[in-house]
Amino acid sequence: MGASILIAEDEPFIVESLNFLLTRAGHRVDAVDTGSRALQAMRGHRPDLLLLDIMLPETNGFDVLRRLRGEPELADMPVMILTAKGQEADRNRMIELGADDFVTKPFSNKDLLSRVEMLLEGGRAARGSTPSR
Amino acid sequence: MTRIAIGRRIRESRMDAGVTQTDLAKAIGISPSYLNLIEHDKRLIGGALLKRIAGALDTPLAVLSGANDAPLASEVAELARSLSFRGLDEAAASRFTGQYPDWANAFVQLHRRYRDATETALALSDRLSQDPALMELSHAVLTQISAIRSFAEIMEQYPDLEPAERERFCGIIADQSDRLGSSAREMIALLDGARNAPTPTSPQSEVDDFIHHCDNHLPRLEEAADALRARLETSIEMLPAAIENRLVRTHGLTIRRGRANIDRRDVRRHDLVLLDEEALDATHRFQLARTLADLELGDVTEELVADDRLTSDESRDIARRAMANYAAGALLFPYDAFHDEAEATRYDIDRLAQRFGGSFEQIAHRLVTLRRPDAQGVPFAFLRADPAGNISKPFSIAGLRMPRLGGACPLWAVYAAQATPDRTVSQLAEMPSGEQFLFIARSQSKRAPVYGRAQARFSVMLGCDVVYGERVVYFDSYASGRASLATPVGFNCRSCPRSACAQRAQAAIISAPTPPGGAPPAAPRMDEAEAGGPESREQSRKQGLASTART
Repeated sequence: MGASILIAEDEPFIVESLNFLLTRAGHRVDAVDTGSRALQAMRGHRPDLLLLDIMLPETNGFDVLRRLRGEPELADMPVMILTAKGQEADRNRMIELGADDFVTKPFSNKDLLSRVEMLLEGGRAARGSTPSR
Repeated sequence: MTRIAIGRRIRESRMDAGVTQTDLAKAIGISPSYLNLIEHDKRLIGGALLKRIAGALDTPLAVLSGANDAPLASEVAELARSLSFRGLDEAAASRFTGQYPDWANAFVQLHRRYRDATETALALSDRLSQDPALMELSHAVLTQISAIRSFAEIMEQYPDLEPAERERFCGIIADQSDRLGSSAREMIALLDGARNAPTPTSPQSEVDDFIHHCDNHLPRLEEAADALRARLETSIEMLPAAIENRLVRTHGLTIRRGRANIDRRDVRRHDLVLLDEEALDATHRFQLARTLADLELGDVTEELVADDRLTSDESRDIARRAMANYAAGALLFPYDAFHDEAEATRYDIDRLAQRFGGSFEQIAHRLVTLRRPDAQGVPFAFLRADPAGNISKPFSIAGLRMPRLGGACPLWAVYAAQATPDRTVSQLAEMPSGEQFLFIARSQSKRAPVYGRAQARFSVMLGCDVVYGERVVYFDSYASGRASLATPVGFNCRSCPRSACAQRAQAAIISAPTPPGGAPPAAPRMDEAEAGGPESREQSRKQGLASTART
């Protein structure tokens, strides 16, 4: 079953490759290029997964994460972070803020896709058993 | 000041002159065996006997006494301490410098380069994590690599791509590879440029050396400033106006008050002198005097900076700025009048500032330059510190060595003054050796306060030997001579044996000095056992003693 995935990423070629990969995997993809647009889009329609770049203009990835975890509707939505920062400290901070998984740039397509599937699986299971976290 | 071991110099000068020990001993009226002891530094001599030897060997006294090397010996000692080389104490440093002045100099130079290299490395590593341009570039590089990798994998993993898709993805890979190349080149250019970016400290040290060598007194500039003032035909009161007038009338400059560029060195452009409206009047006057000195005393400055001791363009530039400041001081605060007034007011800096219209720092700086042999003022050491303790403009005097590396003793008035901005603070500082110095300090901003702007502040300190106390008004509060008035301080933590000091920042690398007579050092801090006793008493005394004097 195809899922709906929102990509928040400001690099057009990265968006294009993610779009290709996820569409080919049978998902419906939307893309936005700023943090505030990501929040806006999710409030209108909650996707099954957010692929979130950390270095976003306007509202950066950390802020998007913090804010969406504060909204009851979005608090338990699976979020995968796209990051160039592989450092321990940054990872801990992202986990603290509620990130579910990471993909470090430059990523491998296979790795990215398998992680996306795992997160979607987990999200479906969580929603099935406990409606709200 | 560190004593130089001079035996080897005497021996070498004697041999150069082709004189035997016996003949020299006879000529100066001592026994050959005594001369032998002197030549092997078993007997320290000075004064009359050294003068006789110099006379007999027809050698300048300074060469034998090593007077010129005393700052070098101090620096070697300071270095040995700062590097925690145990066993290299003051005496060892002075023996080393006395016997091998060239090696000592090389040691000092090497250390400066080492310090530069360390600072450059720190600046570079800061740059990698904090330079926005570099961060942006590395982000771009990662993005480009990500796109290339992802599309390359797509081409490999999806054999069923439409020809149009294949063509587009190939195009993206080619485009991103191209951009990756230019990002890499930009990054290299940026890192390459970084090599010149951090200002190394050694040119500054060279200039500090140069200024010490001149004893912070430059007769040529004094004369030239006197002559320039004579051309202005004016009184001290009218001097700033006359300077302004000359800049406008003779040099065709326009003087304007406004928001100056933060970088003051850029302020003077072509025919415009921009006075920062937020700066104090004293700063404006000084700026105008410096501008005039640049224009009319530039030749003298150039001659002075052509000194061999200044080995790079950078150090000559720093020296040029120092000379321009010196000249401005000499112009605004005429030597004779300033010296007389200083003696008359007993070095009351506030009254001098009032009389000559200078800031505390300008006046303090001028006092340090009163070294003309026929009209010497009290010899003062000088030090300036910012709120973080960074030190600038160190100038040492005999017995009172101002630090160049790291900080000074945290108990010094130069730091205490920061707690009471715009008030003159005095302190009777007692060194571990028992020598006492009078410290006078004040923390001041050069600019008027402006809402929302950090105010650059500096604390400026003068220090003089208490033997000159009678001539200095700030000494009056300590004139009773009671021991309780003195604050026990050190030069810096490394060299300070005061083990119970509550302000200690670094472990000392020396132990308590052995009292003369060779008795063992006192039992280590018996008073530490009295919990809270002497230590807290000492502490409250210290705090009480950075007392505010008249403001």
